[in-house]
Amino acid sequence: MLKIKNLHASIDGKSILKGINLNIKPGEMHAIMGLNGSGKSTLANIISGREGYAITKGDVIYQNESLLEKSPETRALDGVFMSFQYPVVIPGVNMTYFLKAALNAHRKHRDEEELDAIGFLKLIREKIKAVDIDEKYLKRAVNDGFSGGEKKRNEILQMITLEPKLSILDETDSGLDIDALKIVANGVNQYRSSENSFLVITHYQRLLNYLKPDFIHVLIDGKIVKSGDMSLASILEEKGYAWLEK
Amino acid sequence: MTLNHLQKEFDKMMNRDYFSDTVHPMRKEAFAQFLDLGFPTKKWEDWRFTNLSPITKQDFSLSEIQDAPQDDLDISAYEIEDTHTIVIFNGHLQNSISSLENGVSLMSGLEYLTHKNDGFTQAKNTPFDLLNTAFMDSGIALVIEKNMAIKKALRILFITSSTKNLMISPRVHIDLGNASSLSIIEHHVGDSESAFQNESVFVSIGENAKLDHVRIQSNANTVSNMANIHVQQEDDSHYSFFQFANGSQLGRLNLRAELKGEGAYCRLDGLALSTNNQHLDHHIIIDHQVANCISHQNFRSVLQDKSSGVFSGRTIVRKNAQQTDSHQSNKNLLLSKNAFVHSIPQLEIDADDVKCAHSSTTGALDEESLFYLRSRGLDILSAKNLLVQGFVSEMIESVKHEATQKMIQSHLQNWLNSNA
Repeated sequence: MLKIKNLHASIDGKSILKGINLNIKPGEMHAIMGLNGSGKSTLANIISGREGYAITKGDVIYQNESLLEKSPETRALDGVFMSFQYPVVIPGVNMTYFLKAALNAHRKHRDEEELDAIGFLKLIREKIKAVDIDEKYLKRAVNDGFSGGEKKRNEILQMITLEPKLSILDETDSGLDIDALKIVANGVNQYRSSENSFLVITHYQRLLNYLKPDFIHVLIDGKIVKSGDMSLASILEEKGYAWLEK
Repeated sequence: MTLNHLQKEFDKMMNRDYFSDTVHPMRKEAFAQFLDLGFPTKKWEDWRFTNLSPITKQDFSLSEIQDAPQDDLDISAYEIEDTHTIVIFNGHLQNSISSLENGVSLMSGLEYLTHKNDGFTQAKNTPFDLLNTAFMDSGIALVIEKNMAIKKALRILFITSSTKNLMISPRVHIDLGNASSLSIIEHHVGDSESAFQNESVFVSIGENAKLDHVRIQSNANTVSNMANIHVQQEDDSHYSFFQFANGSQLGRLNLRAELKGEGAYCRLDGLALSTNNQHLDHHIIIDHQVANCISHQNFRSVLQDKSSGVFSGRTIVRKNAQQTDSHQSNKNLLLSKNAFVHSIPQLEIDADDVKCAHSSTTGALDEESLFYLRSRGLDILSAKNLLVQGFVSEMIESVKHEATQKMIQSHLQNWLNSNA
């Protein structure tokens, strides 16, 4: 599904990623853990197509094609989704209108019939149950007046509505209380299948305890220095990252 | 337009018997004052950023009786549902296809001046005020007696359609008696290749009366449009104004609201969408003359290509206007690197116990928002359009008259599509 090959990237001449290799197969969930500044979010941003990064070496292959030259919308329509660390508030743009437009862009891309207002409402009423979002939020502007936890649940709502193949969760656990964390984790777990893959980026073990990823990678200074299973997360929780640094 | 040429047009007017000679002394006085001043230049403080060359570099001629429609007009292309409509074509009132609700008296400008029994003072704030008094042609007055609630919105449809370079000087008086209410829509349309409309509207709102005033400036992008709006409000009166402008090569709104009665509420909103080399301005003066009044200004512009605009908002709070509550907001969205806008908020406060706030922002589309929308699968154009709609939606949704709001929405869609 996703192959990251010797990826080197920099911002404003400053080298951030220094040779990342990662292979995510259909149905797998990988977690990347690391401290601030280790390059976790840079990796997520490069996969989803945010501008401002220079790829100096290597490639990101998704479904046998390089992603790097593709626009963010092409990647999205091809099944790449990123749950934002800081979801954007967009005043004046109605949540329902936005999500319907996004879904219909996907449906059109898949040669499916676009949903009308009634069809969309029926679908979204089902989806919001999974992430425990009140219907009144759909009438607001995108993320406008949403609490931190509501914004993150809204990201997961968008994920399960757009049905991506590869979902990147960029610090989706940050700023969540334990109840919201459970709801978010539950929403993600319901969406897991033998086809859907995940890349979960986090500082902490607590979200991983609910998600139980198949693989855990530790990112330090732009490189994956150690990979393992869930037991690695527990060691990190206990010992921190210092023992992995040179 | 040279002053010589204007003088010739003025003499022409003096010699036409269909322009009543009762107002001639008034015209002559105003024209003499205009000639003293001439057109504003960029050296004038309030005109620094408005390029008047579309008006000053061409000669325009008086709209005469032969410029009125010779046959029955078909106005179906300009339909707005759920309104009564008064039609003014090239400055000529079309009585036969106009309709009114009971309770509204339609007078000629002359009848109105007689009705006011010399109790009306012509405006002299700018040369265009004087020019309107000198050349006013379609003088109409809408007079509502006290305690009349006029249910159906009243639209004045101004059609400018001619192959000649016409100068049209509409004059409208709106006079609301105490405790009356009215909703009025000015609808400016037409396919003139070149025209100069210099319109003056005088609004007088009695105690406890309420006026909703929408002005839609959707005429051809080759027309110059000067709107001089003068508002006077008595105690506890309520005035809300909204202008939507997407038409005119040069469009400038000069609105002056005088809050003369305590408890008056004045809300002024405007939205301009400009493209190519259009220049669309909002020049607002709110004059708090007495205590306990509230005013709100909310003006936004979206600018494409090489278009430009000005927001100038001056809030005056006089010495005895204590407890004034005044708020002003101006936001401009630049969709092109070649577009520019001047935002000039001004506060002149002489009272000490007042609440006055103002804010102004100008910028491009937010990159982060754009990326967010694209990362959800929206192509770049749809994402941009959605952000523009988000920027203007609160303005358009504030229009209470449903069919008018719908029409403005469709103007917005057309504007977005034509810039695609």
